[in-house]
Formats: sequence, structure tokens, C-alpha cells
Amino acid sequence: MKLLIVDDSAIIRSRIARILNDSRLKSIDVVGMAQNGMEAISLFLQNTPDIVTMDITMPKMDGVDCTEKMISLYPECNILVISALSDKATALKALKKGARGFLYKPFTDEELIAAFLELTNS
Amino acid sequence: MSNLNESDIQSFIDAVSSFFFQVTQEKVGIRAAYLVEGGIPATTFDLTSYITLSGAFTGRVYFSAPRVMVAHLLLTMQEPDRGDERLLDAVGEIANTISGNARKHFGETMQISVPVTQATEHDWLNSVVSPRSYVILVKWKQYRASVVVDIQHTD
Repeated sequence: MKLLIVDDSAIIRSRIARILNDSRLKSIDVVGMAQNGMEAISLFLQNTPDIVTMDITMPKMDGVDCTEKMISLYPECNILVISALSDKATALKALKKGARGFLYKPFTDEELIAAFLELTNS
Repeated sequence: MSNLNESDIQSFIDAVSSFFFQVTQEKVGIRAAYLVEGGIPATTFDLTSYITLSGAFTGRVYFSAPRVMVAHLLLTMQEPDRGDERLLDAVGEIANTISGNARKHFGETMQISVPVTQATEHDWLNSVVSPRSYVILVKWKQYRASVVVDIQHTD
């Protein structure tokens, strides 16, 4: 499965890739990393990923608008929102736009893997 | 001037504690008080980030830490790149996570910006924050860092 990682923090992008690479989810292949919503859309069109991890607070285009755009382009895409915005309203907004899951920052390795397992099993 | 109540302040203390525990599996020491009344200086370290608030709140939330502490934190996170750019990225992400987590308490009317990060000189924070800012001193391992909450309700 092809994965696109979207987050304005380089350490978070790197951490997500490292955790998944070290995990038993060996079928996941990171095809791109983007630091804002605009860059994410460009990489999304080039790679048509099966899974996207999506930050919310980002420059240029935020994760809610980016999720909406990606789902309009490819409704089957699985988008996992990973955000520090831990209020219910933000999670609901992202889910309403088509995200399939929500993981709060800060997260442990185990929590990220569990969120991916849930996403890929559904 | 800050007009936050005790539970508002506690939400930031909880967010700081939670960040370090989730990332390092270690508890941090916390000391917190208002800048003026509590006599804690808004200690500035090598690297500082801040989040600007809008909506029902105005002001900023700052996180400042010594370079060596952030490098140690990245080592704990198994991040191989510990160059200056990554260190600044890390302090930005910490400020973002603390502010974002605190929004669980304040609600979606508290809008937060992307983080601004910079290398900072001694005493920089005291020159930019208001006297009624709330200072949270964090002790992780042998290192000290500071979170300064300089925000107020607009309604």
C-alpha cells in the first residue's frame, strides 16, 4: 500500500516513516512526504496513495481543506488525521470531510501502529 | 494582562506533562507561577518557538529550551538528524502540541497558528511577554525548559 505523509514538522514526518518501517506493517511503502496542503495535493496527484497521514495546522492549506480536496479526487483514499488539536470539533470536522480515522499528538509507536492496523483492516 | 483561571492554566501544565511522558515515557518536574506574583523569570534558553492565538483568545504560547535538551529529546525519539534545522523544528512541534492539546479545554474558538521558531539570546522572553504571563518551568532529566502562557480571553 502506498502512503503519503503530510505534516509541517520534519521530525513528525520522519518519525511516522520510521515507526512504520520498523513495524510489522511491511506492506506499506512511503511514496511521498509533504509539509503543507498544497504540496500534498501535488504529491497526491502524482502518486495516488492508498493511505494519507494528515496534519491539521499547516501553512498554505490546512489539513481539513486538504482532506476534502483529496477525497473529491479519490474517494477510496484512507486518510488518517494526526493532529495536536485534541478538541472533539476538529476531529468531527475532519471525519465529516472524509477522513477515516483520527490520532492525537503526541502519540506512541504502539498507538500509531494500532491506528494503521484499524485503518487497513477496515 | 492574563485573565485565565486555575483550570485554564492547569490545561497547559497537563499538556506539557503529557507531551514529555508520551514521547519519553518519563515524568517531568513542573513548577509554575505568574511571572510577577510568583517571582519566576520567563527564562529564555537557546531555542524558542511560539504559537499565536486568535479567535476567542489573543496572545502567544512560548516554549524555550536549551539546544542540548532538544538534541537529547530527538535522540530519545530515535531521530537521526539532530542538526540546527531539526532542533528548531522540534521546539516548534512542542509548542504546537502543547497549544493544540490545551484546545481540548478551551474549545475550537481558540484558533492557533503554525509555530514560529528562532534561536534566542538570554532574557529575550522577558522583553516580549507581559508581566502577568504564566510561566511553567519544566525539568526533564538534568535539563530545564520553560513554557510561557501570555494569552487572554477576548470576550
